[in-house]
Amino acid sequence: MSADASDLSLVRRVQRGDKGAFDALVLKYQHKLVKLVMRYVRNPAEAEDIAQEAFIKAYRALPQFRGDSAFYTWLYRIAINTAKNAVVSRDRSPIEYDLDRNSSDESYEMQGRMKDPETPEGLVLTDEIRSTVNAAIDALPEDLRTAIVLRELEGLSYEEIATAMDCPVGTVRSRIFRAREAIDKRLREIFEGGLGRAEELG
Amino acid sequence: MNEELDSQLSAMFDDELPPQECELLARRLSRDEALKARWGRYAVVGAVIRAERGVRLNAPLAGRVNAAISAEPTLGAVAASRSALPTPVRWWQPLAGAAVAAGVAAASVLWLRAQAPAVLPLTAQHAASAVAAPLLKASAGLNDASYVTPRMPAVRPMLVPSTQLANYVVAHSMVSSPVAGRNLLSAFISSESPPTPVEDVRVNVAGDAK
Repeated sequence: MSADASDLSLVRRVQRGDKGAFDALVLKYQHKLVKLVMRYVRNPAEAEDIAQEAFIKAYRALPQFRGDSAFYTWLYRIAINTAKNAVVSRDRSPIEYDLDRNSSDESYEMQGRMKDPETPEGLVLTDEIRSTVNAAIDALPEDLRTAIVLRELEGLSYEEIATAMDCPVGTVRSRIFRAREAIDKRLREIFEGGLGRAEELG
Repeated sequence: MNEELDSQLSAMFDDELPPQECELLARRLSRDEALKARWGRYAVVGAVIRAERGVRLNAPLAGRVNAAISAEPTLGAVAASRSALPTPVRWWQPLAGAAVAAGVAAASVLWLRAQAPAVLPLTAQHAASAVAAPLLKASAGLNDASYVTPRMPAVRPMLVPSTQLANYVVAHSMVSSPVAGRNLLSAFISSESPPTPVEDVRVNVAGDAK
């Protein structure tokens, strides 16, 4: 099994002009990339902006991607550079002094809350997603739960999981798939049409 | 939804699907919105298991990127248009190659000319000494009835054959016509490969080595 074959097949499609394949890559890596960028910026909304910029830069640079490294490694470097540049340009930009800040702390705080999804208002849906997924995982049979956790949390390959669980690789593949299906069945009720993107993509 | 297809999608998400199957599924994934949505939810499941705190799992990031990419030119079309563009600069490429070759040739000539003052005197000196030495020795040999065979250059130390044969050839060359003698000597030198270099071999006219 060649590592990164799935990403590479999507990348090749994008290079041939299939923008839909790039969409799949974004869906796969958006959370990882935002998490990565949040090492540099604390505001999740700003991290999302930087991640978006990194994805667009990656798309424009994709004709030069030869596949010498894994796609995510390449994307990772772009995101790190984009985040560093964003931090530098932000530090260079003049500080906006709000003379009325002391007199309007409440409105300032409200503005921050609206931008920050870590606030209760911003995290309602995210928390709902988390609790739904966690509940679905808890409800899984032991062998399915172990397989999906070893894969997603520990990052083990199917072969390594097969060794750890003392079963064939095909069984591992089946267990992980069934675990995902069980969780996805609960998730679909929340997302209603795929990550709420149906209206945006319209 | 086909269960086998979903199973393949799960394996592809984990980079555990054979490349040939990846190619086929990637094609379908890029077009099938339902499949793509499932793919996106698989990513959400992974993010929750990894407890990626602070990341909005419902963020409209993918939609925003998709909208931005829609405004971008298609990569395949860009590559094709670039390759289809006329290349007006190509006409000068052969000329550039010729110019480079001419430059190298000119540099070589200049370098040789720069080296010439150092080489020519030495060559001339060597040639003069090579011609003059036998004549001088020959003239000296008129007195002592002997001469010294010229010292062979260090770069070809094996040119002088064994002493007796050398004496014979040299003696023969003295009585033969100059052209025949030179030819014989040349032929001999070229055919011989003596084991050791001989420094000075004093030969008398009668052919006795001293």
